[in-house]
Amino acid sequence: MGRMGRAVAVIGTGQTKHGRRDDVSYPDLVREAIQAVFEDAGITIQDVDAIVYGSMPSMMEGVAFNHFYMADALRAVGKPLLRTETCGSTGQSIAQTGIYWVASGMADIVLVVGSEKQHEGDAQATMMTIPDKITLPMVGGAPVAFSMQSREWMGYFNIDEAKAREAAAIVSVDCHDGGLNNPLAHIQMKVTKEEVMNAKIITYPVRLLDVCPSSDGACAVLFASKDKARKICKKPAWVKGMGFRGEEYYTGDSNKAVWQSTIGAAQEAYKQAGITDPRKELDVAEIYNPFTYHELMFMECLGLCPPGEAPDYVIDGVFSPDGELPCNPSGGVLCTNCIGATGLIRLAEAARQVTGKAGPMQVEGAKLALSHAMGGLEQFNAVTIIGSKL
Amino acid sequence: MRKVGIVDVALSPGVGSSLSLMEFTYKPVKEVLDKVGIKRNEVDAYVMASSDVFHSGLSCANSFDIDATGAFMKPMAREEGDSIKAFIYASLRIMSGIYDTVMVVTLIKGSEHPDNDTLTSCFADPFYTRPLGIQETTAAAMQKRLYQKRYGITDEQCAKVVVKNLGNALRNQNAHIKKRVTVEDVLNSKKICHPLRAMECAPKSDGVCAMLLASEEKARELTDKPVWLRGFGSSMDTFYLGDRDLLNTQLKNAASMAYKMAGIKNPAKEIDMAEISEPYAFQELLRCEELGLCSQGQGGSFIDSGATQMTGSLPVNPSGGVLAMNPYVPRGLYRVAESALQIKGQAGEHQIDKKVNTALAHGSYGFCGQWHGVVILGN
Repeated sequence: MGRMGRAVAVIGTGQTKHGRRDDVSYPDLVREAIQAVFEDAGITIQDVDAIVYGSMPSMMEGVAFNHFYMADALRAVGKPLLRTETCGSTGQSIAQTGIYWVASGMADIVLVVGSEKQHEGDAQATMMTIPDKITLPMVGGAPVAFSMQSREWMGYFNIDEAKAREAAAIVSVDCHDGGLNNPLAHIQMKVTKEEVMNAKIITYPVRLLDVCPSSDGACAVLFASKDKARKICKKPAWVKGMGFRGEEYYTGDSNKAVWQSTIGAAQEAYKQAGITDPRKELDVAEIYNPFTYHELMFMECLGLCPPGEAPDYVIDGVFSPDGELPCNPSGGVLCTNCIGATGLIRLAEAARQVTGKAGPMQVEGAKLALSHAMGGLEQFNAVTIIGSKL
Repeated sequence: MRKVGIVDVALSPGVGSSLSLMEFTYKPVKEVLDKVGIKRNEVDAYVMASSDVFHSGLSCANSFDIDATGAFMKPMAREEGDSIKAFIYASLRIMSGIYDTVMVVTLIKGSEHPDNDTLTSCFADPFYTRPLGIQETTAAAMQKRLYQKRYGITDEQCAKVVVKNLGNALRNQNAHIKKRVTVEDVLNSKKICHPLRAMECAPKSDGVCAMLLASEEKARELTDKPVWLRGFGSSMDTFYLGDRDLLNTQLKNAASMAYKMAGIKNPAKEIDMAEISEPYAFQELLRCEELGLCSQGQGGSFIDSGATQMTGSLPVNPSGGVLAMNPYVPRGLYRVAESALQIKGQAGEHQIDKKVNTALAHGSYGFCGQWHGVVILGN
């Protein structure tokens, strides 16, 4: 373990305009992202050897095994297709499937697509079918499970609730400012710390402006071997490392304050990428933050600051746009959450940053970026490191 | 590219199990680890195949499956749909050089689900085709009519597949359906959807298959009888049935990719036995044609010739196939596992008489097989 196979490059990314997309059908939403990625990379479907697709569970899609329904929109007819699904971390898992495919030597160019049309489904109802009947009354639905985890984290490290509240509000303000720089983001609004701290309570301590929206959207990324990338792409981004870990099904079976799956996934990715001091070596991080408190926990478990100290670092501005390691300049999940695509959007944004293509969101001189996603019953974490150099 | 070996496999029985989904999953996984003589922490990565729609009412299937498969705190992913996808993905992980051992686990408890026709009707789009009552059985009925009309395949020839496969299943301890039947029994069984009869359709079964894959060096270290992956291929078809020629499917494309990778030029001669997914009896005949095991339109005379019998020149489904046991998601990996056991000479009472050097395994799902996967194994 720890060795990388053939070098893998990102040669193109494409996203839809995210938000409530009543103007297009679900397959047309997917087509929009795929058209964008081909325009970005300057190649066509004929150049693609294989396809990977992912979304949330069938119940949320309205069609079971929706890779069948999407086959034509995905341009997958007559091609090999894998359908990887790991709940919220699906976006990163499909990227990693594509990366392994190229690294194995069995494909030179792989198209990876993630999508969600949340306004045509019922995300929370679907999430209520993840816990079994025993745990459902306690942890059903994302806000309940994740608020409970936030409280566990504050209790475990004896973090002052007012301090954590302020730090979470800063995360929200920074993300919403990022969203204003991102023309594709779903939520585009200016918020203040006071507005976040006084917003309507969802599940204590989480308030409305601490929570992501339900978005329609799709993302497509093209991965290629070194030879192909050098031929096709003027400035490819390179996959430097990847990790994935999952924890036991029952929430009580693992410590969710010192989140081993996040730590494990990050450590594997850092080892492959040769990163020993992530806060210093990384230039930008796209962290999966459907809830602001989560981002604080991730900063710790991804090794970006010491355990229990994320609120201090955030209040000091370390992870703000002009800080040492800007987090979520795209606005993050807090401004756009089309779940099956979300983890892949993190990777796409990381690739755009290291290739200098992030426009108004660009972190000056970014060379090494982290992308991350989380899923399951607070169970799965995936990390992929993208760099400007091979 | 690194070589991939199958170290060992374990399979559960297909009849409805009284075990909970977790215990049911755990048993074959533990069995493989014990057979190989390694512990969970020596397995580098896991790839699962289980499906939200076929998963006892629990979405995000791997959320639940992670405990019993032993995948917690390991690099892990899950494929949705036929389990041959998980086999392919696990192989890619080994070929990449990043991992040396990958455990593939696929699971289902069909006995806890609505029937397959109800679940597969959800593959149809909700606006245009689902209201028409389309599901895998009604789609297969259309495919069978076309097959009979275009090539003159008879009901008797289709029934012979059932007689052969259920006959083979009598010797398979894991098989779900065990009964000796005649062509007359099949022809006299109830019409389900013209021209399909009840006995021509697969049951709905439970099933768990665990398989340990390893790099060449590691496989040789872990077993005296590694089975080697020689080739694989897969292909997707277009969504709407009306846009396809139902007798000219993507199986041909998937097979040609697998044969090319394995260096097989004449499959009918070079392949010693095949495990083919045949949820509907006639599909075994059609798929033999598309795999190039016999000529196009000759599937009927192929079964008449006896070639595909246990003792024939090219036995097909010596395990009894999907007609004898249909764990929907795992059925593809069952085909790979049964083929591997035949090569190892460890298939037990349904081991075929001749030596198996090269075997073919096939998986398929969706209306008339919208996705096909083909795997070639060798010794």
